[in-house]
Amino acid sequence: MMRRALLKQATLVAATGFAATLPFGFARLMLPLTEAAPYRHVTLPGALSDADDFARACIGCGLCGEVCPPRCIRFHARDGGAHANTPYINPEIKGCILCGLCMEVCPTDALSVTPIPKIDMGTAQIDRAACYPWVDQGVCGACVSICPLGEQAIHFELWNQYRPSVLAGCVGCGLCVEVCPEPSLPIRVVPRSEGTIIRHGARTGRR
Amino acid sequence: MSVSRAAPVYWARHLNKLRWASLSLVFAMLVLLPFLHVYQSYVAAHAYDLLQPGEKWLYDSMETLTSPFVSDPARQLDSVKGTTWSGTLFGLKLSDPLAVLGQVAAGLRIHWPFVVTALIPILVTAALGRVFCGWICPASFIYELNETLSGWLRKSGLTLGERQFDRRGKYLVLAAGFVLSVFSGSILYAAIYPPALVGRELYYVVAQAGFGSGAVFFLGTLLFDILVARRGFCRYLCAGGALYSLLGRYRAVRIQRDVATCNDCQKCDVVCEFGLTPMADGFGQECNNCTACIAVCPEDALRLRIAVHDIPFQGPGHQGHTWRHQQQAGQQEPPV
Repeated sequence: MMRRALLKQATLVAATGFAATLPFGFARLMLPLTEAAPYRHVTLPGALSDADDFARACIGCGLCGEVCPPRCIRFHARDGGAHANTPYINPEIKGCILCGLCMEVCPTDALSVTPIPKIDMGTAQIDRAACYPWVDQGVCGACVSICPLGEQAIHFELWNQYRPSVLAGCVGCGLCVEVCPEPSLPIRVVPRSEGTIIRHGARTGRR
Repeated sequence: MSVSRAAPVYWARHLNKLRWASLSLVFAMLVLLPFLHVYQSYVAAHAYDLLQPGEKWLYDSMETLTSPFVSDPARQLDSVKGTTWSGTLFGLKLSDPLAVLGQVAAGLRIHWPFVVTALIPILVTAALGRVFCGWICPASFIYELNETLSGWLRKSGLTLGERQFDRRGKYLVLAAGFVLSVFSGSILYAAIYPPALVGRELYYVVAQAGFGSGAVFFLGTLLFDILVARRGFCRYLCAGGALYSLLGRYRAVRIQRDVATCNDCQKCDVVCEFGLTPMADGFGQECNNCTACIAVCPEDALRLRIAVHDIPFQGPGHQGHTWRHQQQAGQQEPPV
């Protein structure tokens, strides 16, 4: 009798534990995790400026990704939270070529057709403590030569051969991040409002 | 007996084959389009020599497939894009009405250019009923094959789920999805609506990093259909089906039973994937005009007609023995 009661109790405990952990495990599987890597996810060109507005407008049809020639558009899966199935660009893997096809194809107002100078995906910023030419006067210039906007967005400063600096015309397409040969990626795309801290070191607030 | 065998076969009996052709075409396109997109991106990159062997195989096969039709694949293969959730068809943007409803819920505002893209589906549904579910939906394609599979399993002696629930459950899902979308600020229908999932996951697995969580959900619905209720998700839980049912409630084209030729054989009741009762004139807003019952009827007693309302129950079919016994017992008037 004692043993049977014990067995019954053990079964009950096991059932309770199972009932408690199974939904948890299932929820971990199904429900989104929070985004872990800031500055890796750049919004699409012509996207609504507020991320929450974008999640409200985007229906998750994937059309933008399906027309993207360089296939730079990726989609949040479980990492997205309320942004699940919405698109982003990770310029460390592929940058945007600003062809504008995604803006044209989007059926909603999540992406709207925007002329290139008005696009705001963020701005590139350069960590001068890690970029080869800035650190030891190496020869690189990959970011400047790839930039589709040329002199409006990034240039070599006078007398500073091969030392790139970002200008106000940068729209944040991220091609410079894609081609940067330095593994620590001293150049990255950040929101325009957070633009100046890492870029030129914390001491100088110069753009 | 009454219908002479020499009579020509009712044309609508062939619609079920056409429906399967349509379902297969939609599904095949959803598989093909991501491959075409990947091929286009390879073409645009001018990087054939840098591709891996598998990627070269993809490039070569897609080139063989498309080269008779296009000369510039990077630009000319854009005429059909997207999924049934939202897509472009030869320049025409089409969206699922549920996507529009979801966007309205999430943002609590109406973006008219997007609503316009759902106008054609809404009008078609209002005229023809839930034809999306029976004729286009890529999830229906898999669910019907799944139903065939569970039929084989039943034949092999397994006992599978036969439970019945209240059909109005799906309207609850529709309403709950709306309310939760309002509060969460994201379009939740996109995560629980099988056709959207199927199109998206096929695209993800071919052209992106792999299956997302939607595939897990979709597998769950397949298991639900096998183990709990036949076609259970479509019948009881699908939010899109609920919306289409409401839109198609007063459809102009519907199936009606011709009681004079019906012989009460019950084949229509058995074949109906949605568990409706055509033999008892029970169609209602759930019927998606899939015409499977027309195809299976031996007497051509089920007819496509232009009508806004169903005929109420007409009694047993006049070729069946129930009606004959009633005749003999004098319980009913003789036929007109």
